[in-house]
Amino acid sequence: MTTIDDKQDIIQYVPFMSFVHPSFWHSLTDMKLNVDKLNENTKQIYGRYSYRDDIISVLEVDGTSFNKDPETEFHYINVTGTLMNKNTIEDFKNIDKAALINSVGEIMRANIQIKSWIDNPNSLLNFFVLSFADLKKFHYYYWFAFPAPSQPVVCLKEKCKNISTCFNEKQIKEISQSYQLLEISQKCFFAIVKDGDLYNVVTLSKILDKNRNKDEESNIDLTNTFFAFADHSNCENPGWPLRIFLAALFEYCPDLSKTIIKVIGIRCSKNGAINNSQIYNITVPETIQTPQNVGWVGWERNERGNFGPKLANMSSSMDPVKLADTSSDLNIKLMKWRLVPDLDVTIMKETKCLLLGAGTLGCHVARDLLAWGFRHITFIDSGKVSYSNPTRQVLYTYQDCLNGGRRKSEAAADNLKLILPTVQSKGLVFHIPMPGHPIGESLKDETVTNIELLTEAIKDHDVIFLLLDTREARWLPTLISAHYGKITINAALGFDSYLVMRHGISSAQEETSINSTFVSGDQLGCYFCNDVTAPGNSLKDRTLDQQCTVSRAGVAAIAGALAVELLVGTLQHPLRVKAPAVYNLTDEELDPKLQGVLGPIPHSIRGFLHSHQTVLPTCTKFKQCIACSEVVIGKYKEEGLDFLMNVFNSGTYLEDVTGLSELQLTAEMTEILTLSDEDQDTTSI
Amino acid sequence: MRRMNCNTITPEEFVYAARDFIELSNKYFDSWTIHQNDNEILNTYIKKEEFVSHRDENDKIFLYRAEYIIFYNLSYGVPSFSFNLWDCSGKLLTLEQVREISLMKISKEDFYSVVTQQEHPVMYRPYFIIHPCHTAKIVSAFRYTSRNLIITFLGLITPLIQLNLPLEYGL
Ligand SMILES: [Zn+2]
Repeated sequence: MTTIDDKQDIIQYVPFMSFVHPSFWHSLTDMKLNVDKLNENTKQIYGRYSYRDDIISVLEVDGTSFNKDPETEFHYINVTGTLMNKNTIEDFKNIDKAALINSVGEIMRANIQIKSWIDNPNSLLNFFVLSFADLKKFHYYYWFAFPAPSQPVVCLKEKCKNISTCFNEKQIKEISQSYQLLEISQKCFFAIVKDGDLYNVVTLSKILDKNRNKDEESNIDLTNTFFAFADHSNCENPGWPLRIFLAALFEYCPDLSKTIIKVIGIRCSKNGAINNSQIYNITVPETIQTPQNVGWVGWERNERGNFGPKLANMSSSMDPVKLADTSSDLNIKLMKWRLVPDLDVTIMKETKCLLLGAGTLGCHVARDLLAWGFRHITFIDSGKVSYSNPTRQVLYTYQDCLNGGRRKSEAAADNLKLILPTVQSKGLVFHIPMPGHPIGESLKDETVTNIELLTEAIKDHDVIFLLLDTREARWLPTLISAHYGKITINAALGFDSYLVMRHGISSAQEETSINSTFVSGDQLGCYFCNDVTAPGNSLKDRTLDQQCTVSRAGVAAIAGALAVELLVGTLQHPLRVKAPAVYNLTDEELDPKLQGVLGPIPHSIRGFLHSHQTVLPTCTKFKQCIACSEVVIGKYKEEGLDFLMNVFNSGTYLEDVTGLSELQLTAEMTEILTLSDEDQDTTSI
Repeated sequence: MRRMNCNTITPEEFVYAARDFIELSNKYFDSWTIHQNDNEILNTYIKKEEFVSHRDENDKIFLYRAEYIIFYNLSYGVPSFSFNLWDCSGKLLTLEQVREISLMKISKEDFYSVVTQQEHPVMYRPYFIIHPCHTAKIVSAFRYTSRNLIITFLGLITPLIQLNLPLEYGL
């Protein structure tokens, strides 16, 4: 026989690792909000562990842990536990953990002393959960304890050995079969007694006498008795339940002192065979009783290996706001995963959009931006929601019209949050100054403030949508956007037609060759480039963009959607605002470099519902444009506010500055002269 | 109307195969369970939970619980495979984490084209779902010869995901 190294053979019990299923937190939350509220009383719960040899040493809790009766499952032992859920993080932190486990231990000791465990062996095992639930953030702080007395220290007489070293195949099979017949409450701790050639699985009450006087002999036939327990361990060392089992046994029969007892750790495979069970021969120490004042141990270590609480951050799967956010993101990600692997998903989340106008177009654009994953949306509008609005302006409801109507930009921002709480939306209320609308002395200060507000808002955003209902109102934001190099998307409606386009930016004008197939994005014309009249002159008959224009009901939805698609196409192009616009988008041999991830990006889209036609005109900047030409932007840079005031106060100032006044006459002449040609062109489409 | 696609199976066929499969699963001590509602045949699904462990580059072992759900995909007319994993605190793993623990036996490039996170059509929560686009052809090819449709289907899934299935299924 080998010499015994005391130190080495002290039993190292394999502790439980707590494993919390998500449904546990769902039930705990439900209970806290609807039943317990501020009540801090402890609660009885159930946990379970398996003695399957292929399942790791965990004690699991889930939604059924709160049931009145535990669920039963094959090869699992139910363990009764206590949940103490604190109302504040301070209470959770400050409670004396050593005192807490000792108080739980004292209850267990009392249970051992009154010997009720002999009839109900499963009651020997216990666990404790201390928790705090931050239900605003769905953060759960928790700490499991598996209490056991720190004394006595027990040693193995020899290395553990497989059950087959003492039992033959047939006996093992018989034991396994009769073990399965044991009642569930008897399965955790029991005994195997040899009777002649037979081994009988018996409950503890068969060999231990609950009413025995402590001084009487215990009369356990140690040569023919194996104590047994459902062992969750998968290694040489026995599982934690043995520790409490031994403490209870020694308390029951002190005369075991200095004997050798045989213990079987039952470990079964998924078909119920117990061939991997282990036999432990245990040297019972001289002093075996647990002293009255001994400490209890068993707090679980956390993931860092320290004695400390764990945190379950369940916000991503339980916080409805986060769920809404991730679920709507999934739509975009699916596109990337399934169809467009090069799609940049984050650019939409990061791009800040400024919507000038929160009317029919603004509402549609905002909803489509949301659908494409944009999360920063600001509205500017000075109007209020009126009773005629909600049916067409899809962000408003009847409620927004009451009591004189809410401010459109604010109602739009709030209602967007009702659709997706995580969207960062806000509404600014002010009027956008317009050329040819003279500013009286009384309005001067306000106009200056509004110009500053608009300038700041444009600087703060990456994309400017012009969704206003007058041509004049588009002038100032077109100029400022071009000056700051922002992506500008413009949409305007007629009765049954629409225009959606992107603008170029302020940069040195390049000479483009006649043969070029495309225009670089920064060189594209703006809304005003095609006009030979400055805004402020409303004499000319226009089909687009007139205040109070009545549109067919679908026009705004179509134009709004195209405006957002035009933006997304531009953002997904590596050159972004400089993304080229090709003259012929249907060209089958189009250079791939001219296309973005989502295809070629037009300069403008003009649609006519009457004939269900769409055309895609592309044009460069107009040298004498009243909004984006170098001369206008130059003057704005130099003179700033003074320049703007001159524009607002005079209907013709811009035309003089750009030399349009002179050109106008010539232009009208040209128009008349080429009319017949254009007619022919139109009919040949 | 479009002609009925003969590559698909009916919900009734799915439920029949699922019930039959559960019997086999019980016989082989696999732990699949069936969840059904007679009024809502489309909500029938089979489920299995198991622990999976992962050893990271520092040899630290992490334990996760995996939940597998096979349900009937109405739009494709085939069985679909979905799953979720969570750690010992109950927190669900992200798609990136799932990829990192190499539960899926495919390359990084193929990963995202095969598995996506979606709102589950039966469970109404986000799950990882294996895209069913190739399922129909293969399942229909074995439709009349296979011992059980679910087993045939699992044969398509096991090359992608580690499922630890009993050998007795004959996969
Ligand atoms: Zn221009």
